[in-house]
Amino acid sequence: MITIALPKGRTLRPTLDRFARAGLQPEEDVAQTRRLIVPARGGTARFVLLKDPDVPLYVERGAADLGVCGLDHLLESGADLLSPLDLGFGKCRLCLAAPRGSAVARGWASGDSGAEPGRSLRVATKYPSLAARAFARRGVPVDLVRLSGSVELAAVAGLSDAIVDLVETGNTLEENGLVAVEDLLLVSARLVVNRAAYRLKIEELLPLLEQLS
Amino acid sequence: MNGLDASFEQRPFAAPPQGTQDLLFEAARRLRRCEAALAHLFEERGFAEVIPPALESAEVFALASPHGEASALRAVDRHGHLLALRADFTAQVARIAATRLARVTPLRLYYRGSVVREGVAETGTPRERLQAGCELVGIEGPEADAEMLDLAAQSLRVLGLSGSAARIAVGNVDYFSALIESAGASARLARSLTDAIDRKDLPTLAGLCNREIEPGKAREAILLLAHPPRQHSEASALLARARDVAPSARAIAALERLSKVLAGARGASAELEVDLGEVRGLGYYTGLVFNLYAAGAPRAVGGGGRYDGLLGKFGDPRPAVGFSLDLDALVPLASPA
Repeated sequence: MITIALPKGRTLRPTLDRFARAGLQPEEDVAQTRRLIVPARGGTARFVLLKDPDVPLYVERGAADLGVCGLDHLLESGADLLSPLDLGFGKCRLCLAAPRGSAVARGWASGDSGAEPGRSLRVATKYPSLAARAFARRGVPVDLVRLSGSVELAAVAGLSDAIVDLVETGNTLEENGLVAVEDLLLVSARLVVNRAAYRLKIEELLPLLEQLS
Repeated sequence: MNGLDASFEQRPFAAPPQGTQDLLFEAARRLRRCEAALAHLFEERGFAEVIPPALESAEVFALASPHGEASALRAVDRHGHLLALRADFTAQVARIAATRLARVTPLRLYYRGSVVREGVAETGTPRERLQAGCELVGIEGPEADAEMLDLAAQSLRVLGLSGSAARIAVGNVDYFSALIESAGASARLARSLTDAIDRKDLPTLAGLCNREIEPGKAREAILLLAHPPRQHSEASALLARARDVAPSARAIAALERLSKVLAGARGASAELEVDLGEVRGLGYYTGLVFNLYAAGAPRAVGGGGRYDGLLGKFGDPRPAVGFSLDLDALVPLASPA
């Protein structure tokens, strides 16, 4: 029996389609049911439904053998996992964005971080670890504000000078008067596998990995 | 109390430091039973116990590998000496073997006790780990590698973990080093390749190879490294395929060495699998490398390899091979005879 961690978010549909093509389907519609664990038809596997950022930890700690999560959550979690497949859907960018016309938007490209003189750049994000690494690499001191949602609001309401967040079409940024200043990471959905499961359940996993690719 | 419930009142002395634990009664009994079963096996195979101190000169871990020292918990004593809590038994045993035991060959040594490493607390790896392990010093040939693989498999068996409940992934880091050499890869590229191979990340590996390595045998051989492992019985096909694309005499020698080791370790064949992409291990490994897995544990429960350069750093250039077991991961799963 293998346990598969599914992300509840916007990549749930394409993820289910991919598993269906590989011959694994939940026995009831996971988007409708209130059950958190749904067996696959045929009883060879089961699906657990998780908030997207929780997928890497479930798989790393072996509560699930494999899972699907965005590269953003995989890297942010720091989880020690195998990531054998880029599933190709869920494409978006992790961007540094700031209010249009702000000091950050005007100065970033020429090396001026846009922070007020004598202060670190204030950046709001759901990705504190990735953001810290990106700014450290660029030599920019930052004051990170960790939020759990509506990140755009932070820059609009003056909580921060800029934000680091996922951008799919750019419409949300636009509507809030923000512009993308730099792309920090190209994101897509990855298949992640627990390190021990890859060794101990390889006979069950290999055919599935081949069909998913 | 500022309105805080008493449950949240700070009492810093109440729990042991994060990543450590108190073992009480049955937990202590189980640990000791597992240790005793392993010590009995090691003694039977001609290994003798050494007990290095819990406190070591930090330089010992720095000499062994830069990463080893970085993860050690260090302190300066009143004379200004930089000391570290034991972060790695192998470095200490290498120091002992290379100094007091320099004239004794071969040496078969075992140890048990705890190591302290500053890791990432969130991943659930404890700071203080209980280990037991063996080192075989002074034999260069593949028979020593096979002996240690066999002993590692036997160690899991005496803990009640065998057949499908245990797996040993075996590779040879010198094969990877030979491919890197043939490909003329920079240190930076080698690190990126190692990372992609370690994560079995074929898309990233293919991207790196296509962008940064000339087409040819070395590139093909590196791409093969992210492919799935093969069980002992099917290993010869994988090794033959690798041999077809091996770009240098050094790469061929590394593959031949691995074949000999596998042939010698037939007693462990139920648990062994060959994975040329098994590049994960301590920084000082130079040849054979292996990691141990047990059903019920989400990450490796031990590992080992050959480290022919380590004793030389302590003034006694002798080959050596060894492994260690993480008892805190194994004890809850074990049912020692």
